[in-house]
Amino acid sequence: MNFVKKYDIIIISFILMVSLVFWMTYKVFFADQSPKAEIYYYSELVKTVDLGQGIEKYFSIEENPNVVFHLFEDGSICFEESDCPHKLCIKAGKQYRPGQFAACLPNGIILKIVPGENSDRDVDIVIGN
Amino acid sequence: MDSLETFRLSENMNKIQILVFSGLLFAIALILSLVESLLPIMPIAVPGVKIGLSNIAVMYAIFFLGARQAYAIAILKALFVFITRGFIASTLSLSGGLLSITGMLLMLFLLKEKVSYLGISVVGAVSHNIGQFLVVSLIYVGVSMWAYLPVLLISGVIAGLLTATLLRILLPAFKRLI
Repeated sequence: MNFVKKYDIIIISFILMVSLVFWMTYKVFFADQSPKAEIYYYSELVKTVDLGQGIEKYFSIEENPNVVFHLFEDGSICFEESDCPHKLCIKAGKQYRPGQFAACLPNGIILKIVPGENSDRDVDIVIGN
Repeated sequence: MDSLETFRLSENMNKIQILVFSGLLFAIALILSLVESLLPIMPIAVPGVKIGLSNIAVMYAIFFLGARQAYAIAILKALFVFITRGFIASTLSLSGGLLSITGMLLMLFLLKEKVSYLGISVVGAVSHNIGQFLVVSLIYVGVSMWAYLPVLLISGVIAGLLTATLLRILLPAFKRLI
């Protein structure tokens, strides 16, 4: 009894090759760029940070030096310090995936993660003053 | 037993025997999918990936009863899913089931003796996944699903290998049944 025949192997390797091709295509065309973090001050984009730099640093925006952001080597970012009463922005923790966001409403600051390429797959948030 | 033993039973059976046997296989397919849902979750946490144990019963129907009986089992199974789990699940079951059977029949028709249960089962599982993938892309218009296709294809190959091995082990038991 031949449980495995020649054509079985051909079929299986063909399917595996097709899936490999699909996967490579996807890798090359879509997943190349690392996400970015956008920081908004009262709904105005004031700073854009590339998350794929692989460096760790602390920074704040000119509009409000009391709020400190922390960029990590692994490509995540969070609110490190803030002078707001409840510290909800700090408690929101590390953000790294497109679509995630953290907000500091008393200071009117929004930190949101957007895809690296130009697309509209991100959250739309507005804070009035 | 070098070649596939196919379409042998239905020639020696009368209509009622075929009917009863199809019903039995349908029941086996339902029980197998119930058993599968009782199994602990696979270590690979990929949503939507199943072994598809009930494919064993469908494959048996293709090999030993005929195309019509196999299609009947797939449609009945989709109806059963419709009653128990609703419209979307049923559409997925139907599309996957029909394409799977069509794929396996095509393999049998085109390559005949050159493939074994293994190749046919893999093609069945993969085309089952492709059928479901097509329907999901129709339902969720605009969502980029293509990244998920390789996952589905590879898991289909693995599932096909598993079900073919199981069918191979179960065949003697099936023979005693008749």
